[in-house]
Amino acid sequence: MSIVIKQREPSRLPSKTDAEFDRISNLPGHVIDQILSRLPIRDAVRSSVLSRKWRYKWAKIPCLVFDNHCLNFSSQDQSFIKNKLVNIIDHVLLLHNGPIHKFKLSHRDLLGVTDIDRWILCISRSSIKEVVLEIWKGQRYKPPSCLFNCQNLVHLELFNCLLEPPLMFKGFKNLKSLDLQHITITQDVFEKLVSSCPSLERLTLMNFTGVTHLVIDAPNLQFFDIGGIFEDVSFLNTVHLSYVSIGLYVNIDNEENDARDNSSKLLRFFVNLPHIRRLEIQSYFLKYLAMGYVPSRLPNLCVDLNHLSIRIDFDDLEENTAALCLLRSCPNLLELEMLARPEEQSSMERSTNFWEEDHWSSLFAHLRLVKVSGISGVKSEMDFIKFLLSNSPVLEQLTVKPASQEGEWELMKELLRFRRASIYAEVIYLDP
Amino acid sequence: MSEVDMAVIKPEMMKSYIWLQTADGSIQQVEQEVAMFCPMICHEVIQKGMGSSKNYAISLPQRVNPAMLSLILDYCRFHQVPGRSNKERKSFDEKFIRMDTKRLCELTSAADSLQLKPLVDLTSRALARIIEGKSPEEIREIFHLPDDLTEEEKLEPLKNTTDDPRIRLLNRLYAKKRKELKERQKLKNIEVEEERVDDRSVDDLLSFINGDNGDSKGIKNSKSKKKNRRRKDQQKNTSANEAIKNHNKEPNGLNQVCCSAEVGQTVRAGVGATSNLHDVEDDIFDNKNELDDGDIDDEIDPALKEKIDREVEDFARRLNSDWPERMQEILSFGHERKPVHFSLNGNDSLRRYANSEQR
Repeated sequence: MSIVIKQREPSRLPSKTDAEFDRISNLPGHVIDQILSRLPIRDAVRSSVLSRKWRYKWAKIPCLVFDNHCLNFSSQDQSFIKNKLVNIIDHVLLLHNGPIHKFKLSHRDLLGVTDIDRWILCISRSSIKEVVLEIWKGQRYKPPSCLFNCQNLVHLELFNCLLEPPLMFKGFKNLKSLDLQHITITQDVFEKLVSSCPSLERLTLMNFTGVTHLVIDAPNLQFFDIGGIFEDVSFLNTVHLSYVSIGLYVNIDNEENDARDNSSKLLRFFVNLPHIRRLEIQSYFLKYLAMGYVPSRLPNLCVDLNHLSIRIDFDDLEENTAALCLLRSCPNLLELEMLARPEEQSSMERSTNFWEEDHWSSLFAHLRLVKVSGISGVKSEMDFIKFLLSNSPVLEQLTVKPASQEGEWELMKELLRFRRASIYAEVIYLDP
Repeated sequence: MSEVDMAVIKPEMMKSYIWLQTADGSIQQVEQEVAMFCPMICHEVIQKGMGSSKNYAISLPQRVNPAMLSLILDYCRFHQVPGRSNKERKSFDEKFIRMDTKRLCELTSAADSLQLKPLVDLTSRALARIIEGKSPEEIREIFHLPDDLTEEEKLEPLKNTTDDPRIRLLNRLYAKKRKELKERQKLKNIEVEEERVDDRSVDDLLSFINGDNGDSKGIKNSKSKKKNRRRKDQQKNTSANEAIKNHNKEPNGLNQVCCSAEVGQTVRAGVGATSNLHDVEDDIFDNKNELDDGDIDDEIDPALKEKIDREVEDFARRLNSDWPERMQEILSFGHERKPVHFSLNGNDSLRRYANSEQR
């Protein structure tokens, strides 16, 4: 196909030849929107000088993303960059002509809070559906109350913000996904927020300040990912929750709590998670679960649980007990991941024979994939691996990754000896 | 035939096929599961029961030509197999999308008309990748875009557009005809048009236009108005008449009543209410045309465009050719005409004029 290069004649009407070769300008509006939305905002706006037809096509794109690609230069002078950025965003919002469905603001140099207020006001008038606001610098940004008026919001993502909705705030009726990281929010506000968003399906909460007791009341919640410092977590009315990932970033002191509260955290945790499918217990959360009474197995088996990942200290008796309870309660487990927590101090009760004993009355009937990482070849760890290998008849792959090179050879030699219940099992050793 | 061939043929005979017809008339049959991957074809089969035989072949949208159809079917044939891994699909997509930009645009258009969203996503991403990071000149060259903005326009950022497709169409028609008019007017003496105020809103005018679209009575009405003016102006020189004629060729066949005998004409002293008929809309269009000259409206159905074009040409031709006969017609009609088609709201001026014409 030959490329026809035409003379520049700004004022003539497009001839038939042009129309023949120009296939792109007459594509349907929504397709052009798609194409332009996939370009960085700068390229999208520049399309306005391409030709007459393209002059205002960019102004219709429903999705505006202002991130680090916005400015194609870097400079040492922060205020200069900031001014440029503010200028660009002001212009784009002003010239834009049409509904805005997605707005993302995530530039590393962005600081100016009053400017952001203005932009949020602008988009709140425009039936916005997705807002992503990431403030990389400075203290917590408090979004203006107009953000809470956006009743069409489906996805809200805030990073480094302070949430204080107005008193009249009744929730986001259409919100399906909420992602709050590095935020400050009070207990009441958080509870009210979650319970007043009836369509909420995904909730992510990381590094939060102000909430100590997490009460999750969300009937449609399916995905829950949380990491931070809290004292308690309880699920009310979360029948559909299928993916839970919880990380407790602070080491709790078991002794203190035992005296006060003897109820079983483990039982309470699982009572409202009947259909859980993937569970990740990170950092010190297993310690939290081990508090109080730990049954040998949960009264209601987690029949849907297919993936389990646990961060554990193999020397801690209580944690081992809790882990065993869990392992016994998921008959349909397909994948298991055990991550050894690096030891900070010697735990209260060193249990070195826990996994040596025969705990098993039934087998891991469906377990296919296992990963064990961060181990150092301690007896309890090796016992666990031995236990695992001899109780999983359909195991396909066991991956072992030690924490360091120390004692590698010993570890490997031991691994070699273990009996395997599954003839298909591969034991893969990864370098630390 | 080898055993393998036999094995292949037997299952083929058991398959069911769907018949598809492209815009150029050619018909082909496609395996059912492949064709049903396209939502539009699926809809036709299920909701309307089409596609089961050659006579009932599903007519594909115009944007799908045989070459594009064959590409789309290749895509469907690969992706409708459920067992493929994501990696396989991605690598197929990467290879599939390698084609020249012209075909890529055609493919996007065809996939969109068949509502095959995954393919539209794939092609739009590919097009975006092509556009990204390039200078305007490079992009124009790749996509054959005309460089038809003046330098000032390239700098001019803001335009007040209501985005009404009807206005845009009218702009276009007006622009075309205005060009012709300009050429002729260069040779004639035209009296300066007087400022007249028409306080009808654009919306009013448009609803009026749409009420009268192609309506012959509307045409006659305008003629009768013109007739009145003519009688009063018979002292005027022929150039004025010709100017009227020329002006009557004004584009807006839809806009006849508004612009007929208005712009460029002198005041009819006696017909006071005529002043209310002046079409400020023309002025508006005038101004818009400064900016929009040649603005191609890409959202008007081409069929409708052609129809309107034809009507306009028609009207112009008729006026030009048989004016004297028309005069007679008009004179005889004029007295009986009732102004029924003015669907404007609260525009007393127009109605008043029509009433006076009745007398």
